[in-house]
Amino acid sequence: MKPHQLILIVEDDEAISRLLQLSFKQLGHKTLLAKDRQSALREIQTRNPDIILLDLGLPDGDGKELIKTVRSLLSIPIIVVSARSDEQEIIAALDAGADDYVTKPFSTNELLARVRSTQRRFMMHQTSDSLITCNDITIDVENFSALKGDQPLKLTPTEFNLLKYFILHRNQVLTHNKILKEVWGAAYEYEMQYLRTYVNALRKKIETNTTSPLYIQTELGIGYRFICTTTN
Amino acid sequence: MQLFYTYRHYIVTFFLFLLITGISLVFRKELEMTNIILIHLLPVVVIALRGEWIATFITTTASIALLALYAPPTLSFIVHEMIYIWSFIIFYVVGYTITFQARKIHANSVKEILYNTLSHDLKTPLSSIMGNATFVVETHPLDPALRYQALAQIIESSRQMNRLINTLLDSARLKNPQTPLKNGWCDMEDLLTVALREFRRDVLHERIEYHVSSELPLFYGDGGLLMRLFVNLIDNALKYSDEEQPINVSITTTPNAFHISFSNKCPPLEPAELANLFEKFYRAGNTADISGSGIGLSICRDITRAHHGTIRAYNDEYGIRIEVTLPILKRPASLKMDNL
Repeated sequence: MKPHQLILIVEDDEAISRLLQLSFKQLGHKTLLAKDRQSALREIQTRNPDIILLDLGLPDGDGKELIKTVRSLLSIPIIVVSARSDEQEIIAALDAGADDYVTKPFSTNELLARVRSTQRRFMMHQTSDSLITCNDITIDVENFSALKGDQPLKLTPTEFNLLKYFILHRNQVLTHNKILKEVWGAAYEYEMQYLRTYVNALRKKIETNTTSPLYIQTELGIGYRFICTTTN
Repeated sequence: MQLFYTYRHYIVTFFLFLLITGISLVFRKELEMTNIILIHLLPVVVIALRGEWIATFITTTASIALLALYAPPTLSFIVHEMIYIWSFIIFYVVGYTITFQARKIHANSVKEILYNTLSHDLKTPLSSIMGNATFVVETHPLDPALRYQALAQIIESSRQMNRLINTLLDSARLKNPQTPLKNGWCDMEDLLTVALREFRRDVLHERIEYHVSSELPLFYGDGGLLMRLFVNLIDNALKYSDEEQPINVSITTTPNAFHISFSNKCPPLEPAELANLFEKFYRAGNTADISGSGIGLSICRDITRAHHGTIRAYNDEYGIRIEVTLPILKRPASLKMDNL
């Protein structure tokens, strides 16, 4: 994360907003605070922040509307902060265009990691290279082949497409419906059984230990996240 | 053995019926009808004190049926005199009044235990958080190792509190039978993995031994709740066993059910304690100093029941084993799988 960024915190709880301001200031960033949707919109239009942290439970209504408005205006990372029981809310916020989420209570480390990875994604150049690596996995998009270390992975076409989709959207939270729509097609959007079965099969091929998977991480009730610590 | 324990009141009542029928038959002349009626009230009172409507109804009806034998015409269930009908109505009134009062007292005592355990279990981690935080803020200079220790303790206590709050929320959700389960296809091994993330890694890393069958089918159920089932079973196993001892977790399937078992080393429990383990706010007698609200295993039972399954605790040669059986009510359709 580059220093001296401007971070807009949209949060009505003072204890949380103070903690967030403190953590970002510590890292050399500036913060703006908005307690409701109206002032958030004003700050976005006048101050042009680099990142938005948005609490979904705002007093003056729907965070999703704010996400849609921001998305129609600018391309900046939006990270949603939410209570645990709001899975449907989180999914709706992601569908509306939010980039990632953290649930309360969260550790500041977790939040900062999300912010960094979201920003990195926004900076990322779309690589034209047909070889993409992620830790010890390499896929060749053109030749439909994949390697783990120097061992070729024997993947079915669907498994390959799923792995490719995961690697192209690495470190990003992907909702179940989105993965199904993108990998299987719109008709399969609600066919969870396919997704679970193929993720299971893919895990057996790429994970060393399926009970503590390092690549495909489950986001309970929401979707999956493909973890890459090093890429090309 | 456990079955006898659960239904012990009915067994007592049954013998009570035998006894009073014996006495009534032998001393019918001496006792007269009034006293025979009075002693038939005895089993009604015994059962009504349990505070269960259906049990009270059955016992009162049985008691009246037996009484009808003595009312003229004797040894028939027919009663001609209006005065006995009144007695029988009063039987029901007495039975239901006692049941109602018993339920009220029971509800109050549960509330009191709830209040005590919750305030204890929420306050313990909270005081650890406050204590450690104050220590870090007010101690100058502070040795970095001590500082790290205090902060790590704050994180651990917060996690503990978070788990308890989540369990309370689930418990409230399950208490309302109108709330439907959010059923979907679940991967049990995956849910176990997510549950393990709720705990500090170093606490569990070495201790848990898995036996997860490699070809587990998908299970149709509420993933969020099943994950909480695992969290509470892990929490329980961690709390009630030595820090050095391994915890065994196994997930296997038979054609009709999933079998999940957690076992940890600890001294054996009495049958009565085993039967009561899943009651809300019950704590085994010898564990007064172990923090736990007794709500953990009761939520496990609620989650299991919501999935039409059973949960049992056993003493085995190793320690305590908790076994959850979840019936397979919906099978995954065969998918159009592609091949290599």
